[in-house]
Amino acid sequence: MTDGLATHATVIAMDQPTEVTVGADFVLTVLLSCPAGCDLSGSPVEATAPDGVTTTVLPATGDADVAARRVALKAPLEVGEHVWRLCCTAHESDGWHHDASLVEVPVRTRPHETSLAVWAIPSPVMVGQPFAIKVGAKSAAGCNLTGMRIAVCDEAGAVLASDVLGDTPWPGTNALYWRELTLVAPAEAGMFSWSVKFAAAELALPHRGAVSYFSIVIARPPEHRLIVKVIEQKTEAPVENAQVRLGAYRAATGAAGFAEFMLPEDSYDLDVWKSGYEAPSTPIVIDADLTVEIAIAALPEENPDAVWLM
Amino acid sequence: MGKNATCRGGAAADEVSRRTFLSASAAGVVLSAAGAHEADAQAASRRNWDRSADVVVIGAGVAGLPAAITARDLGASVIVVDENYDIGGRGILSGGRVHLGGGHALQQKAGIKDSADQIFADWVRHDTADARYSDRDLVRAFADENVSTFDFLIENRVKFNERPIGPERASTVPRTFVTVEWHIPSQLIAPGRGRSGSGLVRQLEVAARQKGAEILLQHEMKSIVREGDRSGKVLGIVTSHNGTVVNIEARRGVIIATGGHTGNVNFRRTFDPRLTEEYQQACMPYVHQGADGELAAMEIGASLWATANQTAEAGSAITKTRHIGCRWGYATLVYQPESPMFHLAKAAGLTVTDWQDVIFVNQAGRRFWNEADGSYKFFAAAMAYNGDPSRLNGGGPIWAIFDADATAREKWDPKPPNVDPDGFFFSADTIVELAGKISSPYQKKPISGTVLQETVNRYNGFVATGVDQDFKKPTPMYKIETPPFYAAWSTPILHDTLTGLRTNPNAEVIDIHGEVIPGLYCAGESQGGFAQHGLARCLVFGRIAGRHAAKRTA
Repeated sequence: MTDGLATHATVIAMDQPTEVTVGADFVLTVLLSCPAGCDLSGSPVEATAPDGVTTTVLPATGDADVAARRVALKAPLEVGEHVWRLCCTAHESDGWHHDASLVEVPVRTRPHETSLAVWAIPSPVMVGQPFAIKVGAKSAAGCNLTGMRIAVCDEAGAVLASDVLGDTPWPGTNALYWRELTLVAPAEAGMFSWSVKFAAAELALPHRGAVSYFSIVIARPPEHRLIVKVIEQKTEAPVENAQVRLGAYRAATGAAGFAEFMLPEDSYDLDVWKSGYEAPSTPIVIDADLTVEIAIAALPEENPDAVWLM
Repeated sequence: MGKNATCRGGAAADEVSRRTFLSASAAGVVLSAAGAHEADAQAASRRNWDRSADVVVIGAGVAGLPAAITARDLGASVIVVDENYDIGGRGILSGGRVHLGGGHALQQKAGIKDSADQIFADWVRHDTADARYSDRDLVRAFADENVSTFDFLIENRVKFNERPIGPERASTVPRTFVTVEWHIPSQLIAPGRGRSGSGLVRQLEVAARQKGAEILLQHEMKSIVREGDRSGKVLGIVTSHNGTVVNIEARRGVIIATGGHTGNVNFRRTFDPRLTEEYQQACMPYVHQGADGELAAMEIGASLWATANQTAEAGSAITKTRHIGCRWGYATLVYQPESPMFHLAKAAGLTVTDWQDVIFVNQAGRRFWNEADGSYKFFAAAMAYNGDPSRLNGGGPIWAIFDADATAREKWDPKPPNVDPDGFFFSADTIVELAGKISSPYQKKPISGTVLQETVNRYNGFVATGVDQDFKKPTPMYKIETPPFYAAWSTPILHDTLTGLRTNPNAEVIDIHGEVIPGLYCAGESQGGFAQHGLARCLVFGRIAGRHAAKRTA
């Protein structure tokens, strides 16, 4: 306090995010005021970053009674809680002495997220056979993930395959770095849920790792040939490009209406799907080579107004 | 008509119902300046009319234009007002499928035997929800006027394709004939989309003008003036034209042909509380079904009628989107870049040809039904409560989730102008990232990336085994696995207004005591009592209203 001169306090208030990602740019809004209502628009405010670098917080234009200022800051690259210090030094303003004030601004930083994609999974895969899938990882910050390791694990967490991500994002994506991994199917048939794991531990910018799951159907070796001919019910004409399904097995019919399968002995539901047609599900037992004919009914030609919409 | 055409009506979020306004003023709430002005204007209008005609028609659409022509044919002077910048209402965007029968000339030419009695018998059937809840007095009047209405259309320039369609819905013989699309592309609202209804309303517009009906565009009806608040005959209407009050006297009658209520969130929830703001209205942004006529009539005592029709789960009150990734992807209507509405519609959408190519998730990121289904069971599931305690009514947005392989199969180009990235379409490199990007005024909470990933993983498992264990989608065909991934707005869109004001067979509006409101008529989608979809009932009761109003003693 200055001898013989009445003093006013200064108050610093602010609006700041409580949590940001590491390295993120963010804005702090600082409100400097005097309880007595003095104009502090020209008063000095400084922001000191966690690394000790001090920045002058300049007043915003057009704010008279309460000095609202915005200062752009950058979060540290380390995960944790970081403290900025805002200081208004003692000064004279509006003809009054104003005391210094100091506030601390804690901001927590979190790592960037990563996420995964798994695709081109063949289905079904024969027991014991090698096969390939594609796996990719994406940094929410768009970081280059080239060279980062990615792994496929079984249900117990054992690593089945591992490699590093390539140097070119998957076509059509912004930054999905990917790799094709070769795996070997288990010796038993069934449906398995495996995982892709990405630790993201070696990146300069902290990232949180990711896990994603996918299903894979492993089948016994085929024993019999099934030929399915799909015809239209009324005309008996072959139907091309109809999708024929027997559980995990699928094939599309050719121009002559035929689809061919190699299947292990088992009971199946034979389903046919083609847009604009209707077909019931047909139970079928495969214990020898077989040829079947499936008639599907053409639905009335689709007219956008067919349901009498206007 | 230029590219900068403005749309009719306002956004649902901006709605202030006339009823709410009146309730507030009655309770002593201070009137807004605009409200006080409107109230004063109404009082003044009883003494000072700016315009005058025998018959005043509100709405220049499929009901209003026949009403105007019929009244002029009987010698009445006619003023038609419409709030839009152009005529046509929803009819100009319709498929032009006119469902009139009774044995008219085109039916005879096609060898179709029909009669008024057959129409009546069909449309009072108990075994179809389209007909079950209708007022049979109205159906009888409708049936008896089919042939004369068809002849009226021919006499007033409307041209039809001669191929009959049907039988449709409750009808037992083919009755639908399609009008010929208007021939001037610059006067179409949705060019290139086969909106043949343009040929219906444009021809009727020409006929109406030739016969001397005056059409006042951009005149928004604000209220209907009656002698007493809820008594006496109807005297005219108060309109607003570019901010100026224009009072129009109707010496013989006022005909409400304002086109229904589907776009008024508060009003439509009278019948179905699930229909919250996320459900868009078909034919927006060109025409807004704001319940203007219903609200104005109810203020002076009118009642509603046969409201069960709105929720009978028949017809097209609620429809599945067929064009995804845009706000108004109605089944047969999208706005392409050459449309004068495109600057408002913003995208034409991606047309789905095979529902195997997408899954639908709700606002929580979970599948809710078999995507291939389009029945009311689908809609019920889409609008079901899905766990957000802050949103008990309505189901929130529905998003189609698909991958790069689907875009290849469907030959989609998922970029503007095909999609609207401003709240209705999103893409990302991974499913988790996609969930985080979905942001819309109607999506109140973010979708969890974990939940959406689980949903997709589970569905992909169904594809692997060929069996949808959750919703029995027939032989789920395609995994959603190849990046990039997409989320496209696919929320059900609302179409038909199937209930409205109570009228007698003369189209005279009935009040809450069962008495006729003298001089007030209603036709079209704002009229209650007959739930038949489409243009025919609008045309028939438009003619009936115009005829009866013209014959009233001034």
